[in-house]
Amino acid sequence: MTETTGVRGARMSHSGGTSGRPALRGGQGNASPARRQRLQAPGLPWILPALVLGVGLIYYCIGYTGYMSTLNWDGASPNPESVGLNNYVRIFTSDPVFWKAVWHTVVFFVVTFVAQTALGVIFAVMMHSRIKLGILYKVIVFVPVVLAPAIMAPVFRQMFSINGQFNWLLEHVGLGALVQPWIGQESTALPVIMAITIWQWTGLTFVLYFAAMSQIDQSMLEAARIDGAGNFRTLVSIIWPSLRGTTVALAILGAIGALKTFDVPWLVTIAGPNNATQFLGTYIYQMTIQLAHVGYGAALSIILLLVALTIAIILQVVGRERTREKKGAR
Amino acid sequence: MHLPFRSKKTLRTLAVAAMVGMTAVGLAACSSNDNQGSSGSATKGTVNWWGWTPTNTDEAKDFIAQFNKKYPDIKVNFKLIGISDYQATMRPALASNGGPDVFDLQPGSYVQQFGTYAEDMAPVAKSALGSDWKSKIAPIAVSGMTYKGKLTALPVGSTYAGTLWINHDLFTKYDLQPPKTLDEWKHVCQVFEQNGQGCFVQGASQEGFDQDTLQSIANSVKPGYWTKASKGKAKWNDPTMVKTLSIWKDLFTSGIMQKGALGAQQYPDANNQFLTGKYAMVMMGTWYTQYATEKAMTEAISAAGVAGAKPFPIVPIAFPDVAGNGNTSEMFGDADYGLAVASKSKNRAAAETFAKWIATTKQGQQVIANRLDTLPTLKGVQPDFTTIKFVDPSVQETPVTDLLKKVGSVNEPRFALLNADIENAFLAAAQSVGSGSATPQQAAETLQQAAQAAAAANG
Repeated sequence: MTETTGVRGARMSHSGGTSGRPALRGGQGNASPARRQRLQAPGLPWILPALVLGVGLIYYCIGYTGYMSTLNWDGASPNPESVGLNNYVRIFTSDPVFWKAVWHTVVFFVVTFVAQTALGVIFAVMMHSRIKLGILYKVIVFVPVVLAPAIMAPVFRQMFSINGQFNWLLEHVGLGALVQPWIGQESTALPVIMAITIWQWTGLTFVLYFAAMSQIDQSMLEAARIDGAGNFRTLVSIIWPSLRGTTVALAILGAIGALKTFDVPWLVTIAGPNNATQFLGTYIYQMTIQLAHVGYGAALSIILLLVALTIAIILQVVGRERTREKKGAR
Repeated sequence: MHLPFRSKKTLRTLAVAAMVGMTAVGLAACSSNDNQGSSGSATKGTVNWWGWTPTNTDEAKDFIAQFNKKYPDIKVNFKLIGISDYQATMRPALASNGGPDVFDLQPGSYVQQFGTYAEDMAPVAKSALGSDWKSKIAPIAVSGMTYKGKLTALPVGSTYAGTLWINHDLFTKYDLQPPKTLDEWKHVCQVFEQNGQGCFVQGASQEGFDQDTLQSIANSVKPGYWTKASKGKAKWNDPTMVKTLSIWKDLFTSGIMQKGALGAQQYPDANNQFLTGKYAMVMMGTWYTQYATEKAMTEAISAAGVAGAKPFPIVPIAFPDVAGNGNTSEMFGDADYGLAVASKSKNRAAAETFAKWIATTKQGQQVIANRLDTLPTLKGVQPDFTTIKFVDPSVQETPVTDLLKKVGSVNEPRFALLNADIENAFLAAAQSVGSGSATPQQAAETLQQAAQAAAAANG
């Protein structure tokens, strides 16, 4: 009862119904509704703290990072040297590790996104087919999502070491010829990192696709069946197109996740060997913390931010255009 | 929920107050604070000590307990920070007013990066040891802790590398002698491999330990060249370094270096594999002396994951003459770590008392010496072998005591002359040559470019 009265009281207060501010109201007697709303800004006091926090902690820090990116600074010296855009020039013209990190990010995104999408859709379709012990499978697929990489990293280091369980398994199934130091050589370190990531995040992809599939109109599926579509045809022509929104969202999340990748390559391979698993996130950490090139690291961070924003915008635009085309076709 | 605001004016006032408050908090957090600390009492107070070593907090507690026998009114709190997190933790902590009173420093990049936050400890050393204090402390430890004319920390102990440690039992079991040349080393590893036993293990993904091996090889190729190049008086792309990197590559191709070394870390991977008997040789320095003792060895094996740990005798051997030039590789070393007193400390005098006690008194240094983890820097203090129990004194006592005597004459630095950029370049060179993605010549050229860039950046 008190709650109801309270809500009502608050509503009245917002509309100016209580004794609030007669002078202001009188002064706005002839103002248009839009202008009045703008002047009154009834929600502003409520959002101000969050606004200040958001602007202060996020945008101020981005701005400050931008400023730091113009410095040659170790993060401690009281007299940082201003170098203008030199850090950016160095990154783009004479830093092979940066380009290696970019390449790894692209490969990582493509491979993990395709694999996670394929596995996520397959698992979701299987779970929708009312298999026995479905809940158990769902839990098994989803559990890796909630495991912290810091906990799993030592396990993977052990598993993929030369004397690890993965090589032991290969030897015991007659594939001893494939035994190799998986995280100790450039050619296989990145695939191991990608495999771990796929293992970790497929559960999330699966859950989102599973939910999205629940929204598909059953009558469409039935109509397809009546028209003679088999399982594969239904999956490709009915289910998959209906999941476009989820796929776009996952692509955006995957792309930004790839750009921010840090924990797994750092904890499992320390971004090595020989930068074979170097990503932008690990490189920024190395430059900023280990080598104390705070200005250079800040420039890398700004580039990372711009790339993430660009990718998010492109994927959003592409997603919207596709949706519009789809609606137009209907 | 009913909010008891009587008017929008009240609301706005509160909102503005909240905004001002949060802005103030934000600005306070972002702004720098140059407050200097205060001296306080030299015999009373609380001292917060942060460091990556002693890695065993019980060891730190033991130091503190011994210190408190003399200074019972100074409470010392030790906070252990992992070496991999040390830089990330210390930079903001030292810049703030909430950082430590005493903190660990090691020669090289740490001294260069964090020395600006430390008090000059030369007057403290002078007050403790007299005007000729430099002659009473291992010179290599003093030079390593000195940066731009300032003694950034009082050196507590020193460590030396350039040795291999072997599992004596495994060598005896397969009737093998410690290798003295590259060919003998290859032969030893072949025998071990034929018997399904790992030979040599190294965590080649970590620059410090790669540097130790490379410096040892370089000392075999041309003694003293590495130090000369570290001082900028010789070039890293000289044939000496190309030869050094070629031998490094040979360690990989000849099967001396274990498979997957480039992805392994010295700690915990290589250390655990040696302590669990999977490999018979490891590249470690004097800090490994502690594992020659029964107690520390048993604890270490247990920590490596072996139930019912049974200690085995480990023995230090000289790094083989891998270049075949007849040069026994000289050892090299630095101050292991020193204790710095933060300029912003509010208990500076008490902090100085603590650092001074550990680094410059015989009691403090004896505690350090008896641990065998790091060697005392105060001259005249030696480990008390009457209280130290080796796993097998008959095979360990002579080589270990010989090693401890030998390091007294070492004058070649380990990390002190190198900054973080060059150390990073060493890792890149070691890994690219080890993996075959660069030739020794190419890697040496890259190393020289990195050294030149670092020299230019540091003026």
